[in-house]
Amino acid sequence: MKVLHVDVCTCAECVMNGCMDIVDAIESLKKLKSDVKIKTQIIVSTKPCVGDALHYDKSPIVSVGKKIIEHANAQTVMSQIMELTSKDVKRS
Amino acid sequence: MRGIYTPVTAIRRQVFARIAKLAYEGGDFARLVEDIPFKIVPGETARYRDSVFKERAIIGERLRLACGLDVRPASVHAPISDGIDMSAVSEKFYQPPLVNVISFACNACEEKKYTVTDGCQGCLASPCINICPVKAVRMEHGHSIIDEEKCIKCGRCVDACPYNAIIKVERPCSQACGVDAIESDSLGRAKINYDKCVSCGQCLVHCPFGAIADKSQIFQLIHAIKDGKEIIAEIAPAFVGQFGPTATPDRVKDAIKQLGIAEVYEVAIGADIGAVEEAHHYVHEVVSGKQPFLATSCCPSWSVMAKNMFPTIAPYVSQALTPMVATARIIKEKHPDAMVVFIGPCSSKKLEASRTSVRSDVDFVITFEELMGMFVAKQIDFSQVPSDVLEDATGAGRGYAVAGGVANAIAGSIAELYPDVEFKIDRAEGLSNCRKMLALAKAGKRDGYLMEGMACPGGCIGGSGTIMPIARAAALVKEFQQKADAQNAVQSDYISK
Repeated sequence: MKVLHVDVCTCAECVMNGCMDIVDAIESLKKLKSDVKIKTQIIVSTKPCVGDALHYDKSPIVSVGKKIIEHANAQTVMSQIMELTSKDVKRS
Repeated sequence: MRGIYTPVTAIRRQVFARIAKLAYEGGDFARLVEDIPFKIVPGETARYRDSVFKERAIIGERLRLACGLDVRPASVHAPISDGIDMSAVSEKFYQPPLVNVISFACNACEEKKYTVTDGCQGCLASPCINICPVKAVRMEHGHSIIDEEKCIKCGRCVDACPYNAIIKVERPCSQACGVDAIESDSLGRAKINYDKCVSCGQCLVHCPFGAIADKSQIFQLIHAIKDGKEIIAEIAPAFVGQFGPTATPDRVKDAIKQLGIAEVYEVAIGADIGAVEEAHHYVHEVVSGKQPFLATSCCPSWSVMAKNMFPTIAPYVSQALTPMVATARIIKEKHPDAMVVFIGPCSSKKLEASRTSVRSDVDFVITFEELMGMFVAKQIDFSQVPSDVLEDATGAGRGYAVAGGVANAIAGSIAELYPDVEFKIDRAEGLSNCRKMLALAKAGKRDGYLMEGMACPGGCIGGSGTIMPIARAAALVKEFQQKADAQNAVQSDYISK
């Protein structure tokens, strides 16, 4: 099974700007795996910092695979995850 | 909207961070504060409303509230900074009301109505028509229609429709308000009835237009820090996990010190003291039959609501000091020249701290969201913050953060101190549920009970000034409880002292 690493920055700026809600959104996506038939294993990790230090104007920052998403939100992160796993998706 | 990060949340938090930065950096406040709306809402096009000017004007009023200043209606021509120099002081700057509607940000949502959606199939059975007691529902062109003038809003049609095609539409702020304090002004916009409001702050987290905000004291707190005053923080038990996974409880303590605060105490110290006091009170007064029941006192919105709406049973609300006040008094005893800041999850503590009897104990109250704004303004990097052990309280006191935790702590104390006493517990979370519980108590159906009331669903971790989703916060509080050296409130060092 393929693995997709999603790293969520949890520095003070990113927490203030809702990064933990993004973590919850990704976790909820994992629960939908059977509905959207994603075969990739999604591993979500929280990191003290992702990207440049002191990224006040870019937070929250999330990396999905090799792609860094600035000003991330649940929608942009889930959409990137779906895009990277799209080859595996077979909608019923 | 709890648990979903929205643009409303983003704006609220950015305002706190910007005001904290302004206070720390200093300068010409009158000029600098006028620039902030342009930083929060850059560019020339509106993002959420019909006009970028309106978006900035609303931010302007939020900035004023964050400085402790009054909100103004759209009819008043004045700069955002009007009065800011008066609020740039190192002591509490607060004039009621605490919770405010920014009237021109309000969407003037309909108060409450029942409406038939496109899901209506115009079925032959038409139970919606048959069940309506006032003949307000009729069928037209194969679709049910509700006559709003006749409708008495009983909701029976909603329950009867087999397609769930009839819905109740209600103002989110009114729905969240457990004391019916949201009324309407002449333009149909939300207006708070302050005779009823208990400042729980649930309306401000549930308004999807971000039209309600409370006054903050971060501007004055930071001025006090900058003026070199000795500031001691007491942090409510719900703080665990609020600032992200890197901000462990021990690191939060040191991070607060990096803001310029001299020392940090857990409010759970006062919770331990309160739990033991209420255990004694329950046994001596309720079990002995001197009073019918005992209601806990730690949540000010709950206790004020009980006193306002059920005055005949108000004497049965515990007179024990709230954890905030009990801890503040311990701090002031140890540090007589210090100013105390309570850092907690909700608005209502701001009101409690403004009471004449409490004013000298607690100098400032800020929420976790506001503290987060200070961390961001000072660019605190939690991964670089050393751990500074927090070991003030027992697991029972720390459990006050979560609904059921107060009753559990008192029950634990009763079991330890009076092992032969049998006790009964009821509890409610959310003010509308609290009202139902008190109505039962008033009717004599809770005699012999210890009753825990929490104004916010989930308890303090669901307060209006919190950051983390409730379920995540509850798990982390439990973990922190288990780390305490002692688990029962009676084992607290502060009890034996």
